[in-house]
Amino acid sequence: MSRGSGTGYDRHITIFSPEGRLFQVEYAFKAVKTAGITSIGVRGKDSVCVVTQKKVPDKLLDQSSVSHLFPITKYIGLLATGITADARSLVQQARNEAAEFRFSYGYEMPVDILAKWIADKSQVYTQHAYMRPLGVVAMVLGVDEENGPLLYKSDPAGHFYGHMATSAGMKEQEAINFLEKKMKENPAFTYDETVQTAISALQSVLQEDFKATEIEVGVVRAENKVFRTLTTEEIEEHLTAISERD
Amino acid sequence: EMGDSQYSFSLTTFSPSGKLVQIEHALTAVGSGQTSLGIKDCLLQETYLPLTFLFRLFQVQKIQHLTPNIGVVYSGMGPDFRVLVKKSRKQAEQYLRLYKEPIPVTQLVRETATVMQEFTQSGGVRPFGVSLLVAGYDDKGPQLYQVDPSGSYFSWKASAMGKNVSNAKTFLEKRYTEDMELDDAIHTAILTLKEGFEGEISSKNIEIGKIGADKVFRVLTPAEIDDYLAEVE
Repeated sequence: MSRGSGTGYDRHITIFSPEGRLFQVEYAFKAVKTAGITSIGVRGKDSVCVVTQKKVPDKLLDQSSVSHLFPITKYIGLLATGITADARSLVQQARNEAAEFRFSYGYEMPVDILAKWIADKSQVYTQHAYMRPLGVVAMVLGVDEENGPLLYKSDPAGHFYGHMATSAGMKEQEAINFLEKKMKENPAFTYDETVQTAISALQSVLQEDFKATEIEVGVVRAENKVFRTLTTEEIEEHLTAISERD
Repeated sequence: EMGDSQYSFSLTTFSPSGKLVQIEHALTAVGSGQTSLGIKDCLLQETYLPLTFLFRLFQVQKIQHLTPNIGVVYSGMGPDFRVLVKKSRKQAEQYLRLYKEPIPVTQLVRETATVMQEFTQSGGVRPFGVSLLVAGYDDKGPQLYQVDPSGSYFSWKASAMGKNVSNAKTFLEKRYTEDMELDDAIHTAILTLKEGFEGEISSKNIEIGKIGADKVFRVLTPAEIDDYLAEVE
């Protein structure tokens, strides 16, 4: 292999390559992409909505156990795109961390602090050889007391940012292009507009019209800060509204 | 932690020619990061290019405080930088608790550099992929230090890191004078950054931090940056 003076280990553990890259981190990103689903998050004026595909690979599977949307606390949700097992591990740790925070400090863990905690943990895996990075991009949503509705995304490299709208997974770039166009005039989306923008973004980049059972939708609203997954009926209503609009 | 014992050997080892290649690779990672520079009076400046406007809200600031009178900026890997900021802040606070005095700039730099060196020698870890510019004002006056992934650090009158570093340093060498005023330093820094800048320089894609004899490190608001940019034109 003509990789200059690389020892050969730089592809197996998170040490630097001769070009100053971390291949294991880059491969973790690939794992997120090849998981085969795409996720979208949109932040509106007073709500946040996340949407992801619900692909049940086998008819014999119990559909209700196939989910990428997890409540972390009553008020914070996490949409995990990538390797499901890694996602479950991350969610378990995040739930523990948020609960300890509430116990130690006497108030609910803010969304951005949780996102930073996830990102800092991810950074550790990029620097210590004994653990590989997680193959998960985590979108965290909640309503902050001071800053209103927030959407944050943390990735395997340990980066995290707040977003007005974002995407992760197979069609991430196409979705972001779509969302940039929609959010260009800095619209202040209502709750319904937020949800429908997110769903229609997914439908557009995947070029298919969904049934309500084929997607998962999670929301938080300023008027009801509890993180909630929409029922099939509610999703159906939004899908109908979208198709009537078009 | 438990898993570490599997890796109780250093991943950064000498090559036959006596080099520590992991550190060299870390420096390469730094060299491909966004440009940042500092001038001793004291000021840090750095470019921040948001990838898409969808990020613009809740911009993550690259210039950070370590103490009220010491600031830091980096070139290289953001997540690694966060770790060092966290550790340094704690070290500064511990010093304050123990000695009831703010930590001198040199001490904080030394302790941070020690952490970075440890990651070039300890088992199972890689070096940090960042170089830091630390600017502070204490009883010894204004100081500017650069710390590299190896853990070595030097005091500088002016320095630059990241992409375009050699042009920036040449420019700074020509323009630096011992008796620069703070505002002159800011103008010079802006001009230096402009040299290698892709696109239009504005208050939306650079950050400036400064500290003067008031010993308070402050990050400028976008409005203040706009004022300085206008003066430079």
